[in-house]
Amino acid sequence: MIDFNLILLYLPNLLSGAWITLQIAAIGCTIGIFFGTILGVIHAGKNKLLRWCVTVYVTAFRGTPMLIQIAAAVLLLPQLGIYISDFWAATLAIGFNSSAYISQIIRSGIDFVGTGQIEAAKVLGMSSIQVTRYIVLPQAIRVVLPAIGNELITLIKESSLASTVGVMELSKQANYIKNRTFDALTIYFAVAVFYLILTTLLSFGVHLLEKKMRYHAEN
Amino acid sequence: MLKIKSITKIFHGKTILNNVSLNVERGEIAVLLGESGVGKSTLLRILNNLETIDSGTVSLDDKQLDLAQINQKHTIGMVFQNFNVFEHLTVKENITIALEKVLKKSKQTADEIAQRLLAHYGLADKQDKYVSQLSGGQKQRLAIARTLAFKPKILCLDEPTSALDPLLTTHVANGIQELADEGYIILIATHDTALIEKLNCIIYLMKAGSIVESATSIDYLQHKNAYPQIKAFVEGVIV
Repeated sequence: MIDFNLILLYLPNLLSGAWITLQIAAIGCTIGIFFGTILGVIHAGKNKLLRWCVTVYVTAFRGTPMLIQIAAAVLLLPQLGIYISDFWAATLAIGFNSSAYISQIIRSGIDFVGTGQIEAAKVLGMSSIQVTRYIVLPQAIRVVLPAIGNELITLIKESSLASTVGVMELSKQANYIKNRTFDALTIYFAVAVFYLILTTLLSFGVHLLEKKMRYHAEN
Repeated sequence: MLKIKSITKIFHGKTILNNVSLNVERGEIAVLLGESGVGKSTLLRILNNLETIDSGTVSLDDKQLDLAQINQKHTIGMVFQNFNVFEHLTVKENITIALEKVLKKSKQTADEIAQRLLAHYGLADKQDKYVSQLSGGQKQRLAIARTLAFKPKILCLDEPTSALDPLLTTHVANGIQELADEGYIILIATHDTALIEKLNCIIYLMKAGSIVESATSIDYLQHKNAYPQIKAFVEGVIV
């Protein structure tokens, strides 16, 4: 049975873990969306060399487990002279992994916009950056918002992999409490509820954004 | 006067435009008539820097135009066959966005320009609607208004009546004639033969990338037999 007193007893640990998870998710999402959008725009562009570079990046990040990427970030970065905490190494790995997926979502959205409006904007004198910023991306993002929402939910859940390099996020806290109490069912139940709250809040936020961006006629 | 001289366009080894030349005076309408794929739209796209040319020149009032920079100078405007209005913006924003971002007009000035044009084209009450709420004819008027906001000297219209019923075709033809009367140089690419009967224009019949016959619409309508190729095309006769 679920021991709610145990949950209350270890609530500070769980909240501390949830706060770390929230930070990983927020920073990872920001990196994923920002970098993924840039990569997506490049991938939908005309420069063959840059497109090839993005393809290599996406293939590498999508084709290897995130667990390995996190471990690589923690182990390789110091050897390259980059000394950052395990939290930041894991968060960067999670963010850049997510950007690979988001880039492909954005690219499909850009393809949806089509060439007609792009040509119209060009004839009006807009630069390529203006066309992308004001015409293409607003429409592409609206189309792919549900898919981006799904990707971000996945990112929140996969942030638990940061626990493998010692980051005291929610899953790591759960392991710590479980090892002390031997009540795995109660602790994993509590952790599941925390994750559910985080992903539900994110889903709600994406839903609100979708509603705001739903500009098409509702005659 | 717009002078298009010896324009040639070759794409993947196929000649799309072959030494095309024509002159259009201010206030004149040039109708490029022909079947799909003869190069009419390509010529308009070249004038708007959507395609490059392999040879030839374009000049306006004896000054050669740098087509690579033509979009930044707004000498030429284009209304597309499918209108290509910006789906995510309101009717007014479709006009103001480029005025603000390209010409760096203030929001107030851009709004004033948009409202004046929308009133002229009967869209004042639609200014805050999204374009998906407009009919085909309204979208076309918006596309024309958006182009005219930049005060181009030359206006290109690609198949302006292809999706319109006969009544709307007449409305559009009247609107185009009004623009010509205001002094715009107008080039139209179309296969809609009904349009030439409604316009005071010069017809250029195109076949396989070349202009094969030309006539003023008045002259053609009075002496059809003198223009056998245009007559054959209009009457749907395979020559």
